[in-house]
Amino acid sequence: MLSVSNLHAGYGKVQVLHGLNLEVPRGSLVTLIGANGAGKTTTLRVLSGMIAPHSGSIHLSGTDITGWPSHAITRQGMAHSPEGRRVFPTLSVTDNLLLGGFPRLTGARARGDIDADLRRMFDLFPRLDERRQQLAGTLSGGEQQMLAMARALMLNPDVLLLDEPSMGLAPKLVEEVFATIARLKALKVTMLLVEQFAAAALEIADTGYVLENGRITVSGSASDLRDNPKVRAAYLGSAH
Amino acid sequence: MDILAQLIVSGISVGMIYGAIAFGYQLTFSTSQTLNFGQGEALMLGALVGLTTVNFLIGQSIATPLAYLLMLPVVLAFGCVQGVVVEVLGVRQAIRTGSESGWIMATIALGIIFRNLAENIWGRDALKFPSPLTETALTIGPVHIQPMEIAITLGTLALALAVEVFNRKSIYGKAVVATSSDRDAAGLMGINTRLVITFSYALSSVSAALAGVLVAPVTLTGANMGAVLGLKAFAVAIIGGLSSGLGVFVGGMILGVAETLTGFYLSTGYKDVPGLVLLLIVLSVKPSGLFGKKGIKKV
Ligand SMILES: Nc1ncnc2c1ncn2[C@@H]1O[C@H](COP(=O)(O)OP(=O)(O)OP(=O)(O)O)[C@@H](O)[C@H]1O
Ligand SMILES: [Mg+2]
Repeated sequence: MLSVSNLHAGYGKVQVLHGLNLEVPRGSLVTLIGANGAGKTTTLRVLSGMIAPHSGSIHLSGTDITGWPSHAITRQGMAHSPEGRRVFPTLSVTDNLLLGGFPRLTGARARGDIDADLRRMFDLFPRLDERRQQLAGTLSGGEQQMLAMARALMLNPDVLLLDEPSMGLAPKLVEEVFATIARLKALKVTMLLVEQFAAAALEIADTGYVLENGRITVSGSASDLRDNPKVRAAYLGSAH
Repeated sequence: MDILAQLIVSGISVGMIYGAIAFGYQLTFSTSQTLNFGQGEALMLGALVGLTTVNFLIGQSIATPLAYLLMLPVVLAFGCVQGVVVEVLGVRQAIRTGSESGWIMATIALGIIFRNLAENIWGRDALKFPSPLTETALTIGPVHIQPMEIAITLGTLALALAVEVFNRKSIYGKAVVATSSDRDAAGLMGINTRLVITFSYALSSVSAALAGVLVAPVTLTGANMGAVLGLKAFAVAIIGGLSSGLGVFVGGMILGVAETLTGFYLSTGYKDVPGLVLLLIVLSVKPSGLFGKKGIKKV
């Protein structure tokens, strides 16, 4: 579904990613873990076109999208729930969700049933249902995170990129976010998940990649990674 | 007291013109943190293209009011094109390269080119724009008011209202709001934010061109009609808020009234002073950071 090969990228002259290879098969949940500053966010930014790669290639559903601008990549089916949520604070919850479906509403992507999908989002995130007309800027951090995920889902994406959806949330809300991701996985949504809670991420993922200083150092099935002593020591907070 | 009421009423319609130009500054600033310093020239070109169109239609023995109405879509379309030209030639490259000030020089230069062009086509003399409405003032209580002054107020408000409804109701308008609030995130929604910026430039020139043909019948029309208006409206835009809101119309009205008061109690020679003083105050109070990145944007 999403296939990345030998990707180099960075900011200006500073190179952050040094030859990344990554596969996200259809219907699977892949997680990318790594220390602060390893380049996880940068990876997602390149994939969704927020920054252009220096070299390498990115294919989405067989189409070469390398170097495309972000709006074109989104229309092609890549949804990105970015670090820091980035909801539109002066717009209502419903308007934020509609904007998630912008390519569908404007004919750039198969329309499907927008109203039914809105209802699905409100079923999936009941907290948003109670706040449909509330301005997104007035939502709590947890609610904004729900909104960012729901907004991305409104694209009916082929691949959903999630950047630290649990960041800054209280433990109970973190659980809720992971429960939602598990539910999306059951619905066969293809996802690439970046998480600081590596243990929880590897618990629900099919495959995992470890990113260190812009390079993939370990990869494999999530259960293999959970048992890998190096990974346990560095990311799972236990050496045994 | 009666004179005061009269001065206020007269000031309001001038103020709406400032408001409309300032509104144009705001439209592009909110999407791109850039603006067209040739807004006054956009107004002037709109007025002159309108004048030529109206005169042509009157020459076809069409009555003046009808000729004026038929001219409006022509001028609005012209404004659209002119705005796109400004964006493509003056602003796009600066935005792409992240230049902090390239667009300032470029839009000022384009404004000067437009003025020279207008001088060559329409001459240097001020021209008379045929008024579509009677030039006999209406008397309401103690106040005399030109029908065209009412048209100015209603016309500019109608434009602002139309933009507001578009932004709130249509998905494309929401895309403009999203681009204003967070351009990267808007891109992730599949919104072509470059196109949104081009569109906002088109709309910005449309509002200036409309202001031009509204004000032209009550003033003199010519290549130099826009420069001072553009400067004063810039001060209004800074005061009224560059990011959004209809505060620019309130700011415009206050300046308009201040000017008629000055003109009456001091001398008409000083009529331009309040606006330019306002501009100087604005520039000295906010010397830097005038175009600073918006504070609400989190990265
Ligand atoms: N906008 C930027 N301009 C320049 N350098 C940047 C920018 N954003 C990130 N970097 C640098 O790129 C490197 C990777 O950052 P990135 O945000 O991708 O890390 P991350 O793995 O997401 O970290 P975290 O877990 O803290 O979110 C860091 O060294 C960072 O300083
Ligand atoms: Mg990050």
